[in-house]
Amino acid sequence: MRLQTKLTLFNTLSKLVIVVLFVLLLPRLIGNINLNYTDNRLRKQKDKVLQKIDSLGIEQYMPDGKPYGSYTLLKEEYVGLEESPPSYHLNTIENSERIVEGDTIQYRILSHTFAHDKKNYLLEVGKSVKTIGETSSPLQSIALEVLLGMIFFTVLLDFLYADYLLRPLGKIIKAKLLDKRFPAAGPYQRINTSTYDFKYLDESIHQMIQHIEATFQKEREFISNASHELMTPITILQNKIENLSGREDISDELQLKLVEMHKTLNRLKSITKTLLLISQIENEQFLKEDTISVSELLNDVSDEISIRLQDKNIRMNIEVTDDKTLHEVNRFLLFNLFFNLVNNAIKYNKEQGDIAIKAFREDGSYVIEVSDTGIGIPEEQVPFIFNRFKKFKRSAQQESFGLGLPIVKSIADFHKIGIEVSSELGAGSRFRLIFP
Amino acid sequence: MNVLIIEDEKSLSREVEAFLKKQFYTCDVSFTGNNASEKIAVNLYDFILIDLGLPDYEGLDLLKEAKEYNPEAACIILTARGDVGDKIKGLDLGADDYLAKPFSLLELQSRMQAIARRKFGLKNTVVPLGEFSVDLTNRSIAHSGKEITAITKKEFDLVSYLLLHKNRTLNRMQLNEHIWGSVIEDDYDSNYIDAHIKNIRKKLNAFGPTEWLETVRGVGYRIRTA
Repeated sequence: MRLQTKLTLFNTLSKLVIVVLFVLLLPRLIGNINLNYTDNRLRKQKDKVLQKIDSLGIEQYMPDGKPYGSYTLLKEEYVGLEESPPSYHLNTIENSERIVEGDTIQYRILSHTFAHDKKNYLLEVGKSVKTIGETSSPLQSIALEVLLGMIFFTVLLDFLYADYLLRPLGKIIKAKLLDKRFPAAGPYQRINTSTYDFKYLDESIHQMIQHIEATFQKEREFISNASHELMTPITILQNKIENLSGREDISDELQLKLVEMHKTLNRLKSITKTLLLISQIENEQFLKEDTISVSELLNDVSDEISIRLQDKNIRMNIEVTDDKTLHEVNRFLLFNLFFNLVNNAIKYNKEQGDIAIKAFREDGSYVIEVSDTGIGIPEEQVPFIFNRFKKFKRSAQQESFGLGLPIVKSIADFHKIGIEVSSELGAGSRFRLIFP
Repeated sequence: MNVLIIEDEKSLSREVEAFLKKQFYTCDVSFTGNNASEKIAVNLYDFILIDLGLPDYEGLDLLKEAKEYNPEAACIILTARGDVGDKIKGLDLGADDYLAKPFSLLELQSRMQAIARRKFGLKNTVVPLGEFSVDLTNRSIAHSGKEITAITKKEFDLVSYLLLHKNRTLNRMQLNEHIWGSVIEDDYDSNYIDAHIKNIRKKLNAFGPTEWLETVRGVGYRIRTA
C-alpha cells in the first residue's frame, strides 16, 4: 500500500474513532451541562421568590394561608409554596413525579424550607425533565453531521498535503534509480525539496551511485589494462612459435606439437581480444560516425560468413522489406554484431537448417530479425545468455568460450539498440534487434 | 631492403628480426625511442616498424621524425594499445599500415609485401603456379591466359597468402587470422578454412591440376613450388 494511502487511512480512522466517541458521549455531557444549568436556574428562581416574600410578605402568595401553586401553560415549570411542620427541614434538588391536572410529569425539583413570621414554609421550584433533555438528540445529530463534514474536509486536505509532501520521494526514485542507466555518471542534480529526510535520501543515493560508478570504472580499467598487458607476451609467444614452425629441421611430431601450442595460444588471444573489445565498447572508445544502409551491412556479413553455411548445408535468406540508412553508427562494430548473431545461428543449427534475416518496419520502429531452425535455448537460460563466459550445453561440435552474445549485447547497448530473444527448445531461436 | 625495428620488448624485437632476416631483409633494432630517433636521423630505411608503447618516447613523435628524415620509408605502427584514436592519428600522420598486437609475423610480412608492391612498384607481380598464374597486382588467377572469375576475393587472399609464404606450412589459425582478422568472434577452433580450400581446389581443378596446393595432415596447408 502506498505511504500516502496509509497516512490518509490512518488519519481517517483515528479521526473517526474520536468523533464516534465524542458523539456517543455527547448525551451524557449535554445532560450534565443541562442539569447544572437547570439547577442553577432553579436556585436563582428560589432566591427570587424568597426575595419577593421578604419584601412583599408571604401574603402575596398565600393570602389566606392556603398552599400556592403556579404552572406555565405547558406545565414545563411550576412553583409551589406551602406551610410545613416546624421541625421539617429540607434543601435538596432531585427528580420527582408530580401529578398536575391529571398528568404525571417528571420534574427536577428544588425543595427548600424556610422560616417566615415564625412559621415554617416549604418552597418547591420545578422544571420538567423532558424539556431539559430535549435538546440533546438534535444536538447529537448536528454534531455528528458537522464533525463528519469536518473529517471529510481535513482528510481531503491531509491527502493533498501528503501527496505534495511525498512528491520528491517519487521524483528521487524515478530520476535517480529507475531512469538511471548504469554505468553512466551524470552531474549531480539535486531534487527540489524542503524536507530534510528526502534531501538526505537524495544525497545518500547519489553517494551510493558514485561509489558504484567508481567501482565499475575500476573494474573496466582493470579489464582493459589486463588485456593490454597480455597483448605483448602473447605476441612474443606467437612469434616464437611461428619462427620455430618455419624451420625446416624440425620433425613432424614437433610440428604437430607446435600447432597444438598455437591453438592454445590462439584461444588465449581470442579471449583477450574479445575482453578488450568489450571493455573498449563499454568505455565508449569507439566513434559513431559511419553511415551504412542495412542491406549493405547484411550483405557484407553474408559475404563474409557464407562459407560457413556449407558445412551443414544451411540455407540463409536475407529479406530487407524496407531498407534503412543507419547514421552515426560504427560500421566495424555493427558488422561484428551481425556476424556473431548469424555465426551463432549457423553454429547451433541443424543439418539442412534455415536462417532467416528480415529487416522491416513495425509499429514505428525499425526491426532486424535473425531466426534459425536450430536447437534453441531452454527458457530458464534465456535471461543469462548475454552474461560473459556463461557457457551452455548447446552444442558439442563447436569450441567457443561464451563471449559471442556478450559482444552482441555490448555493441547493441552502445548503439542503443534493443534486443528481444525468443526461443523454442528444439525448434530454433529468434533475435530481434529494435533500432532507436 | 632495410628495416628498422623499434620495440622495447627485446624478446619480441629479436623474433621479428630473426623472421625478417630469413626473408632477406636487412634489420636494425632499437630498444629505446632515443636510440631510434638517432638512427632515423642518420640512416635511410625502406621500412620502419614503430611500437607506440615505448617507455621513453612518444611513438607518434617518432613517426613524425621518420616522415621528416626518411620520407621514402614505409612506416608500420605496432601497438598493444588497440586505441581507435591512436590508429586514426597514426594513419593521419602518414603511417602506411597499422598492426595491433598480438600480430602474426606472417601477417606482418604480408603487409610489408603489399606496401612494397604499392609503394616501390615491385615488378614481377605475376607468379607462375603450376599451370596457373597468379597476378598479385590485379588480384586474379588465370589459366592459359584466361582469368578464372569463379575465384572469390577471400579465396584469392588465401592463395596469395600461401603463395607469399610458399614452401612453408601455414596452420589453420594463421590462415584464419589472415582471412577473418577483423572479425571478433568467440570461436577459437573453427575449421572453415577447410571449406575454402575445398572450394578453391574444386574451382581450379576444372582447369588444371592443383597438386601444388598440399594438405599437411594435422598441421595445415602449403603451396609447394620449385
